[in-house]
Amino acid sequence: MNADFSISQHPLDITPLSEALFSPDCGGFVYFEGRVRNHHAGRTVTALRYEAYRELAEKEGMRIVAEISRKHRVRAAAVHAVGDLHPGDLAVWVGAAAAHREAAFAACRELIDAIKDRVPVWKHETYADGKSSWIAGCDHAGAAGNQDHP
Amino acid sequence: MIKAPSLRGLLLAGGRSTRMGRDKASMILCGNGQTQAANALRLLEGSCVRVFLSLREGQEKPEGCGSVEILRDVVSCGGPLAGILTAMRYDPGAAWLVLACDLPFVDASLVSLLLAGRDDSPFTGFASAVDGLPEPLCAIYEPSALPLLEEHVARGHVCPRHIMAEEGAHLLKLPAAARHALENINAPRDLEMMTRFSDPGTASSEPTGETPGREIRLGWFGFLAEQHGCREEMFVTPAGTVGELFAELTARDGTDGLTSGVLFAVNDEFAPPDHPLKAGDKVVFMPPFSGG
Repeated sequence: MNADFSISQHPLDITPLSEALFSPDCGGFVYFEGRVRNHHAGRTVTALRYEAYRELAEKEGMRIVAEISRKHRVRAAAVHAVGDLHPGDLAVWVGAAAAHREAAFAACRELIDAIKDRVPVWKHETYADGKSSWIAGCDHAGAAGNQDHP
Repeated sequence: MIKAPSLRGLLLAGGRSTRMGRDKASMILCGNGQTQAANALRLLEGSCVRVFLSLREGQEKPEGCGSVEILRDVVSCGGPLAGILTAMRYDPGAAWLVLACDLPFVDASLVSLLLAGRDDSPFTGFASAVDGLPEPLCAIYEPSALPLLEEHVARGHVCPRHIMAEEGAHLLKLPAAARHALENINAPRDLEMMTRFSDPGTASSEPTGETPGREIRLGWFGFLAEQHGCREEMFVTPAGTVGELFAELTARDGTDGLTSGVLFAVNDEFAPPDHPLKAGDKVVFMPPFSGG
């Protein structure tokens, strides 16, 4: 079983990643793409910057991919972008290949959830009104760090 | 030197003692059974014509202070500078001997050294045995310091240590026997450590040449980096654990309460708040993650 995770500068090239997951014994391959949304909490997002604590992010990402590969007996890989992105750009990609589709779907879902939860990456959004904000925590609008800057 | 302005004493007791969990000024730390505030006031009275106790608005007087005159902060900049500026505005023509209430090892001989070291600098103080920077909370503030402090506060600078360093304070070397005298007590653990330092029976068990500060490489991410104005910094700390270090830094930067959910990493691995620190460690502070 392989375990591959990396933090890469935008734009991501996922072709080698997904090709590495293909294997004749895998009948199911599921992947998820997280792309930049043009809105957040009712505001129009025009640009977005991701930063990562690369040393720890790659260590923790590898652990996640290894855990989930083992648990579901899948081949898995993931990559998260850093740098300046715009709506529609690919921010994160996770993929899982397995003998049967159930394991591939389950592993893919768990991978993206664990990456969002455990990997030290932060999002800085810029809005149509020119303001910008660090997003601290997923889907917790109004958390301590979400402070607008003019 | 020309005739020095007359000296007022100011005991700073307006700190919140959040890490100690109880009022530091009311603690009994010396063998004479007096509270820390009472001992410090007596020390100041030995050198100053008038002595004042600096408190926050609405704060209760610590135990054992008798009928000392009280100055309540009228400056909103927070921290010790609020108390110092309040006093200096109250009597701008006087020089102020400022002493923090959490320095139980400052004694009359150290105060005499400080007074003897006074020159025409706006500030006279000791250099820290840990990092060589000025110790602002056992120092003399001459009348010429007032306009400098006002100017810094107007620009948002509220750290008296940095102001003294920038304004070229006259710094004295701590005598070897009093090397630890200006280490304050912020957490119950410090108190335990100070007690060991002060007990001649166990002092010899301390490795010689060991300084109580550890140099740590700090890293900040996301909004924490913005809040602190930097991503990396070298920092010398007496803190024994990552959590204590973080408390020290948020107190220093006035960011208490703005930083919930922060996670720690030591040497590129996640670490709990009670993770012990050693010199040379890399400590990174991480706000809640928002990848994906």
